[in-house]
Amino acid sequence: MNLLAVEMKNVNVYIGNRHILKDVTLKIPSNTVFVIMGPSGSGKTTLLRVINRLIDLIEDARVEGYVKVLGFDIMKSDPYELRKYIGMVFQIPNPFPHLTIYENIAIAAKINGVAKDKKELDNIVRWALEKAMLWDEVRNRLHDYPHQLSGGQRQRLCLARALAMKPKLLLLDEPTANIDPVNARKLEEAIVSLKDEVTVIMVTHSPYQAARVADYVAVLYDGKVVEQGPAQQLFLRPSTEITQKLLRGEM
Amino acid sequence: MYNWRKLIDKLFTYMVIAVSIVAISPVIHLIITVLLNGTMVIVKTGINFFISLPPTPFSKDFGGIAPAIVGSLLMTFISLPITIVLGLFAAILTTEFPKNTISIVIDTIAKSLASIPTIAVSMIVYTIIVVPMRSFSALAGSIALTIVSLPYAYTYFSTTLRSVPFIYREAAFSIAMSRWSTVLKILIPVVRRGIVTAILMTLVRILGETAALLFTAGRFRNGVTISPLAPADAIPLLIFDFVLSPYEIWRQVAWGASALLLLSYMVIFFTVKFLVKEVKL
Repeated sequence: MNLLAVEMKNVNVYIGNRHILKDVTLKIPSNTVFVIMGPSGSGKTTLLRVINRLIDLIEDARVEGYVKVLGFDIMKSDPYELRKYIGMVFQIPNPFPHLTIYENIAIAAKINGVAKDKKELDNIVRWALEKAMLWDEVRNRLHDYPHQLSGGQRQRLCLARALAMKPKLLLLDEPTANIDPVNARKLEEAIVSLKDEVTVIMVTHSPYQAARVADYVAVLYDGKVVEQGPAQQLFLRPSTEITQKLLRGEM
Repeated sequence: MYNWRKLIDKLFTYMVIAVSIVAISPVIHLIITVLLNGTMVIVKTGINFFISLPPTPFSKDFGGIAPAIVGSLLMTFISLPITIVLGLFAAILTTEFPKNTISIVIDTIAKSLASIPTIAVSMIVYTIIVVPMRSFSALAGSIALTIVSLPYAYTYFSTTLRSVPFIYREAAFSIAMSRWSTVLKILIPVVRRGIVTAILMTLVRILGETAALLFTAGRFRNGVTISPLAPADAIPLLIFDFVLSPYEIWRQVAWGASALLLLSYMVIFFTVKFLVKEVKL
């Protein structure tokens, strides 16, 4: 049993000639909620995109160092194969606008061969929506389109889409940044309830949100990991000034 | 203070309306003139306009433009699918791999191809197809049409594909979709209306192109043939020749042909716009 979901050693990322991540070394244990905090522009989003190699989409990005995700050495593996095990929810809700609520979730399940027939597909869609705490709101309108949903519902639909792949790892890039507090709360509840099945890596701005959901926290500042450890320890006894400032909301 | 702002707002609103009317009035004038003059001819001739041969200069009846209609349809039928497939494929390649050498080459060729005068394309095709085959042909016309419309099709398609917000591409990749299924199942369907519009713009370009056909198609008006290797006529060619002729009856037929072209554009556009729904983001 592999107890580390993600292991990074001396990872450096350059985009063009900007040095985004500097010597990042991280250990992310399985079945936990691991929160990455840090001010804007500290490289949090880039860090997430390294894990599922979405960074490949950026033309002039260069990644150096050792990254092991779910036992894959990601630099040496096929990114399409790797991504089957990793779900992601983005800052801006991005359900596919031309597909219905049902199809949005089904497409993820189909690509990864999770469902064998229509009935199984129906079950997965329902399961994913329930996990994302959206089922009750959309059970009678599965064939509506995403633009008919509110922003917060769309974001939970994205979570359901990610879950439909039955991933082992879930990446959340400030998923509540653009939605209201009530929806944010629902999303947080969903996240915490998930950790029996998946490892969650979440990026957030908000120390309060981090305190509510995190088991482990890493603080990123200017591309460097300045502090990492169990959440309680980090919140009660922050060892660096950067973390203290971040927790006081001064950064 | 408040009234002053209101006044300026009103002033600018009326100015914009006035300018719009000035800008659009020539187009309206054009459409009305063509429709008025042309539909008269079509109505007077009736079904014969579509199935008869053009009149002799001193004939009493208008006759029809059957060879031109058939020729235009035939050449469009050959050239449109080729143009769309090549244009779309090239657009996908250059949007997906913008820094690839092949993409850069395609993009450069497309841009320079668009700036070659269409009459020059006609001459080139004349030299390399018509002369060796010793005959004008619908095939030569179709090749010229394809060369002329391809850079436009490519530009329409790549502009459309590039307009898909990056977040959907990311979403597709994050659920482990391959590049090709991302293009086929996400990017193209999201902008399906733009893609259809691009196809229509290409169709309109092919249907209306004249100069590219001057030295290639052959203006065969004495009968109807659907052989791609035989000389053919096209609606714009017929309009071009008949308008410049000294015979009143030919000029009347040219009005009719223009109206037919215009009406078919309108019908195609409105039907498709009505049928293909826009994807709400």
